[in-house]
Amino acid sequence: MRIRVLGNLAVLCATVALSYGMQVTKPHYADLTAPIPIDGAMNDTVRARSFAVRLDKVIFARQLKASQFGQEKLLTTSGLWVVATTSLTATGASTAVADGTWQGPTGLRYHQTERLGYRQDMPPHGVDPGLDKRGLFVFEVPSDQIRGARLLIAARQFGPLDAQARISLDALPTGADGQPSDILPEFDLDAAPGQTSQGQTPQGKT
Amino acid sequence: MSAVSTEPAVDPQAERKWRRGGLLALAILLPLTLAETSYDSVREWLHGEDLIARDVEFGQSVPFGGSGWKLADLRGGKAGRLPDHAFAVIATFTVTIGDPDLRKQWLGCKLMLTDAAGRRWLPDFISGVSLPEGAMNCAQAIFSGARKGDVITVGDTFIVPEDAVKTIRPAVGLGSERPWYLRFQRPPK
Amino acid sequence: MFKTARSKIQTWITAGAGTIAALFVAGVMGAFGALPAHGPPQLPPDAVIDAGRWRLQPVRAYVSHAGVHGVPLKPGQKALVLEVDMTNRTAQSDKGYFNVFTPDGIVLPDSSPMIVLTRDSTMTPELHPGMTERMAYVWPLAGDNAVPANLAFGVTAEIFKPRDNLHGTPGWYNPYRLGTVTLPVTDLPATGQPAIGQPGSGS
Repeated sequence: MRIRVLGNLAVLCATVALSYGMQVTKPHYADLTAPIPIDGAMNDTVRARSFAVRLDKVIFARQLKASQFGQEKLLTTSGLWVVATTSLTATGASTAVADGTWQGPTGLRYHQTERLGYRQDMPPHGVDPGLDKRGLFVFEVPSDQIRGARLLIAARQFGPLDAQARISLDALPTGADGQPSDILPEFDLDAAPGQTSQGQTPQGKT
Repeated sequence: MSAVSTEPAVDPQAERKWRRGGLLALAILLPLTLAETSYDSVREWLHGEDLIARDVEFGQSVPFGGSGWKLADLRGGKAGRLPDHAFAVIATFTVTIGDPDLRKQWLGCKLMLTDAAGRRWLPDFISGVSLPEGAMNCAQAIFSGARKGDVITVGDTFIVPEDAVKTIRPAVGLGSERPWYLRFQRPPK
Repeated sequence: MFKTARSKIQTWITAGAGTIAALFVAGVMGAFGALPAHGPPQLPPDAVIDAGRWRLQPVRAYVSHAGVHGVPLKPGQKALVLEVDMTNRTAQSDKGYFNVFTPDGIVLPDSSPMIVLTRDSTMTPELHPGMTERMAYVWPLAGDNAVPANLAFGVTAEIFKPRDNLHGTPGWYNPYRLGTVTLPVTDLPATGQPAIGQPGSGS
């Protein structure tokens, strides 16, 4: 009799412990349905499910110049402007790449800026198979979020179980204080291709 | 003490039979439940994707989405503002309207180009390249007010890489016909 | 005979224990509920307020008779403007600041304000983690609407749930009145923009 009671108690305790263990170790629903990261480095072509992306260039600037509705606008920030130039292409079918996030070294996520309004070279980028397209992603980040950061590119902002290119930015030159070694006082988005990299606009080998 | 069970003793044979029946029912009911719960999602997915091609010879007109579709022309070249190694392609179809309710029949109308590798291109705007006179794109056609028996020209412009131009074939997908879509043979050279 | 009585009592106790516990818990909760409710506290206007997702530092409040920060006004309208330094305390860019402030005791034609980044008049941009920005809450008012010299703004905060009850996703839920912050409201005449707090002046 005594033994049976003790046995039952033991079974009960074991069940409670097991259930609790399962509850606390259960993966988060948000993690289970999170985008699937595909890692890559700068200047590598990272192949996600519906698109491929190559990060060609990252420019840091204190101010950003852009024309909006025919007006020149000078955008200031409390941190730094980051202009990431990518080369995008679709893998299987024409699609759009709409979402860029700057992930700081500690995991803080800086979503692409909404202060620029609609522009041709801003997301969403319409991409076609076999054709490279230059696309910009622009972020506002504090200067301590640059060393060890990663660039996340996805087709949509909330894409459960869809692929997300995760490009490590270790190749970016930074100084001893973690600041990027080259910060422009001002960067003109409209002069971007001509001023800096025209003539060597990367084109895919076909 | 004097309690006597009034229930008849359970026949072990009958109990085993029930148990087996229950297991068997489970084997049938579980897949049925799965099928029932996923039916709507599967149906919705099938109706949203162009999955199964129906090949059409050049010059042939095929009923699709209540109307007759025929490839009119497929032409490509270097025109307008294009990236390097890219061609502009214009595909046009001659459509004889059957069911004039295009808003329903042509919902989600998609003109595409496919190549030998199975890649797909959707229409692109190319500055400096426009459709031939009288042709309209899918969305314009839906709201054009075309009546039964009318013959209209539907087409669009595409940007296609050099390496795909040799094998591209135009295709049409309509919401009312998915998962089937039409894939046309190229016009003979 | 004895045995059946004992088992009966045992059954009663087992079945009754749950009921008694439930009654007890309900009674205690009822007693707490009957306590006089605390009103939302007054928050000091010159201190930083931690309100869930946001760290808030109210800067000033004023009534403008012309369009401010790029928000146009209809003829005959004026605008109640609250400028506040906001910092995103979370780990990702967010724009869930629409219901953070509500002016108390004022009839608003439209209770949802227009919210503008004072830096360059961008309407409702996402704010990024740890980057303090001065935002202007602009409530258009009828021209004859009286605004008291000292106005209380209700501050609404939310709580973070690592798993919400419906989907198990993390997020900010259950808004509650954190407190009220009372600010003096100055009346700015229609001529031009307010001189201070211009874009670029920073904080």
